[in-house]
Amino acid sequence: MSVPTILCIDDEALGLEIRKTVLERAGYQVLVATDGPAGLSIFRERNVDGVVLDYYMPEMDGGVVAEAMRRERPAVPIMLLSAYINLPAEVVTLVDVTLLKGEGPLELLEKLRLMLGAKNQSPPPMPRSGGAA
Amino acid sequence: MRLPEFNRTLRQLVTVPIVLLILMAGFLVWQIVAATTAQTALDHSDQVTAQLQELESLFIDQETGLRGFQLTGDPVMLDPWKAAAGPIEMHFANLRAMLPGDNAQLKSLGDLETGYNEWLGFANAVLNQNPTALNAAGMNQRGKAMMDGIRGSAAAMLRHEQNIRAERYHHARWLQRRELLSLLVSAVLVGIFLAMFSRHHVHAISASYLRQIAEITERSDQLFESQQWFQTTLESIGDAVIACSNRGAVTFMNAVSEKLTGWTIADAKGKPLEKVFHIVNEQTRQRCDNPVEKVRRLKQVVGLANHTVLIGRDGREYVIDDSAAPITSGDGKMIGVVLVFRDVTEERRVQTALVASEKLAVAGRLAASIAHEIHNPLDSVANLHFLLAEESDPVKRAEYLRLAQQELSRTMQISRTMLSLYREPKAPIQIDLSELIEGVLLLLDRRLQHQGIALETNIAGELMVEGFPAELRQVFTNLIVNAIEAAGVKGRVRIRMERAESGELQGAGAMIEVADSGPGIAPEAARRLFQPFFTTKGVEGTGLGLWVSMGIVQKHGGSISVATSADTDLPGARIQVYLPARTLAQQAGQPAA
Repeated sequence: MSVPTILCIDDEALGLEIRKTVLERAGYQVLVATDGPAGLSIFRERNVDGVVLDYYMPEMDGGVVAEAMRRERPAVPIMLLSAYINLPAEVVTLVDVTLLKGEGPLELLEKLRLMLGAKNQSPPPMPRSGGAA
Repeated sequence: MRLPEFNRTLRQLVTVPIVLLILMAGFLVWQIVAATTAQTALDHSDQVTAQLQELESLFIDQETGLRGFQLTGDPVMLDPWKAAAGPIEMHFANLRAMLPGDNAQLKSLGDLETGYNEWLGFANAVLNQNPTALNAAGMNQRGKAMMDGIRGSAAAMLRHEQNIRAERYHHARWLQRRELLSLLVSAVLVGIFLAMFSRHHVHAISASYLRQIAEITERSDQLFESQQWFQTTLESIGDAVIACSNRGAVTFMNAVSEKLTGWTIADAKGKPLEKVFHIVNEQTRQRCDNPVEKVRRLKQVVGLANHTVLIGRDGREYVIDDSAAPITSGDGKMIGVVLVFRDVTEERRVQTALVASEKLAVAGRLAASIAHEIHNPLDSVANLHFLLAEESDPVKRAEYLRLAQQELSRTMQISRTMLSLYREPKAPIQIDLSELIEGVLLLLDRRLQHQGIALETNIAGELMVEGFPAELRQVFTNLIVNAIEAAGVKGRVRIRMERAESGELQGAGAMIEVADSGPGIAPEAARRLFQPFFTTKGVEGTGLGLWVSMGIVQKHGGSISVATSADTDLPGARIQVYLPARTLAQQAGQPAA
């Protein structure tokens, strides 16, 4: 069983880097992009098992990015991760999972595992060590 | 009846009887003259008769004298004869003079005179003859016949004159009766006429008098009703009304003013206004100017200063809004002052609530941005914490801790900036405006980025003003958010700040301009922009932002104005805020709306 590849898109470079480390620790292969267009080009070029997408980004917001991805490969599950509290309803229905930033890494990993499991019927990756503090 | 008509009637009442009585007197004079003439004619007949009788008697005297002389031959006997001759001549002359016009009588007189002269000729012939022949029978017969003829003539004349007299007597009597009757009839007629005439005119005057009395009564009734109407209207008016005399003594109060002042009109009437209408400044508690004095000085409608509090007789306080106006008489003289005021305590409370709610709305507008700003670093910190728990490499741990610290500092900075929107010092402090605006821009940073706004700032350098930082932050947040919203995606916003030199109308301070590349503001919208509840944003806006902002700026002694820029480079709205270096504001809180 191959390691699932996750594409992370967020304009917050530092937050993105830290999130990448967390996901890698959990056993995922992680690709990153700091804006929508860059994320989309990676999505087209690479085989991605799931997307963790920030909503509030300059120029092209997460809603637009998710729509473009759905048009190309609707099977790829998308998690909308945002600090934005008033997400538009059509964007919420478009994606598989929404998660508020700041809910913590355990919540992130759990929701990601469930999302990948539901979409791909593939077993969730096992973190190298169980849980955190 | 009008006055000229009335005067004419009065004149008629005097002149008509006088004229009528004069006419009646004339008529009576004519009657009297006629009667007198008739009497004179009667007297004339009597005189003629008397002359004739005298003449007859003289004839007898002469005949008797002649007879005596005949009988006695004594010349003494002729004395009567001689004595009568003169008077007879005289009587004849008199009669001739008295009878002109009466031809019949004149002819008879002529006959009489002729007869007499014949007799006189006979008598002289007798006297010249021998006295013895005097008694000849034939002679006597002839003399007697002649004398009889004379007597007959005289008697005929007398009869004729008697007839004339009788006629004249009847005429005079008839005239007398006519005179009496005329007097009676004219007196009765004039009396009746005058009575009717006077009655008619007096009736007319009296009717007119009654009519006028009725009219005056009706008019005074109407006047009373209209006075009642005005009184009731003033009484029922929702605003409080106090009227006072030119000297400031209370003359009228309606029910609302009685309620607010706690004075009844019965107690307040005649009292000086300042005793009944006790007003103080809401903040300083100092007594306000007497509005009557102010009106008397300015002779025009004056409004009361803001923050006026009316203290009632019972000590209750009402925030009031009022105006005072002169009451002028028809000729423009000021005869009193009327005060109209309203209890705006509730309104003021609502206003305060609106200002507070707008403060929350500003926070609401920032909430999404703030949540984003805080959640991002918090998310990183939570992730770092997760990594730290499992990391044993000290170098990596140190790196994670440093990053966590950095993210926490960012969170705290955001949180502090947000708090500063609310935390306010009790008195105005020195504020560096560039720092304040930088802080606002930090909160709005995400928003600017998300919309891809090109922000141009020219706020370099320290520029100090005195004021309340939280309130000013609220003002600039409003103005910049408005500019961002107007500019739209990929729009442009320019913020410029410069020192304002002291001028004729304002002291030294700062001028801050916020301009955007949006569509600009229509002139009709510009006029209403600073009114409460006016919004160009539909349901999205509260319509309170600029109203509250203006209140805050004015409280600081500044001004705020809006214009659509003529600058083709940045054609949208341009808002300018002037803030004085030394503020007028005393304390934070509600703006002077």
